[in-house]
Amino acid sequence: MKVTDEEFNKRAKADFDTSVDALDAATLSRLNRARQAALEELQQPARQWTRWVPAGGLAAVALVAVMIVQDPVGIDGPPPTAIADMEILLGEDSIEMLEELEFYSWLDVMEQDDDVG
Amino acid sequence: MAVGSAVFAVSCTGTATTGTRELQKEQQLNRFLAEVERRALRIAEIGVRDRDEALDLVQDAMIKLARNYSARSQEEWTPLFYRILQNGVRDWHRKQAVRNRVMSFFGRKRDEDNDYDAVAAAPDPGGRAPDEQLQNHEAMQGLEIAVHNLPARQREAFMLRTFEGLDVAATAEAMGCSQGSVKTHYSRAVHSLRATLEEHRPDDMYVAEGKR
Repeated sequence: MKVTDEEFNKRAKADFDTSVDALDAATLSRLNRARQAALEELQQPARQWTRWVPAGGLAAVALVAVMIVQDPVGIDGPPPTAIADMEILLGEDSIEMLEELEFYSWLDVMEQDDDVG
Repeated sequence: MAVGSAVFAVSCTGTATTGTRELQKEQQLNRFLAEVERRALRIAEIGVRDRDEALDLVQDAMIKLARNYSARSQEEWTPLFYRILQNGVRDWHRKQAVRNRVMSFFGRKRDEDNDYDAVAAAPDPGGRAPDEQLQNHEAMQGLEIAVHNLPARQREAFMLRTFEGLDVAATAEAMGCSQGSVKTHYSRAVHSLRATLEEHRPDDMYVAEGKR
């Protein structure tokens, strides 16, 4: 006999709660640290935007912008929306990634070699 | 002199009152975050299928809530927190898509799910019997994958309503849409999940009665 929607939801919620209760100590510790970091925000005065984008990051963004606009051959799916992509690429962590493109590229090569081996 | 002392006393009282209020606010926020953080982590983890990324997203949401909305009433915190978190999850997916495109320029397309080891990320036993733990883990894993594969809005509606237990109004606020849309997304999510689990796992406890 099939379960009702209500029964389905109850079971889903129960299993979800069990998985929450079983989170390991290391994860709980990281959550605690995250919470303390958030609470420290209450003590901080309003911040001014003072971070400067590194020149290397800008150069990397320019390079990738050209790559995206040109829509290189071999990329799956529809062509990207360049403006939306640029918003993401100009984000702080994306710039960090772009600055380390050579490293990621090397990682890819190593993974491919591992796959072959 | 007496006037000066009075001004100083009023000033000190005002400072003390402000300090007490700030302390109370901090304690309230601490309690709120401690209460919500573990469920939020699992919800984010189901959304991105990566615990480390989910931890980062939860921390970002906590910091943004504290920085921008701590002055709001406590009743508003839950939908605001989940709105921030869901926006973070959506941004994460957009960034992944762009990164995949960038990385593909170097010859290889990355698949965000390929690196996720559900077994490695599985929680500790928590004192349950091994067979019970295994049964729960398998059921949750099946459900987790099915929820992850839902369209984003359906996934958000299902997790906020079922896992977090938000009502329709709070879910609508968290998702930034109408209550009618929440009902539609949620209904479709439940229908889709049941169909998926029934199709792929006909003996699953989510499908057949009397398995527990």
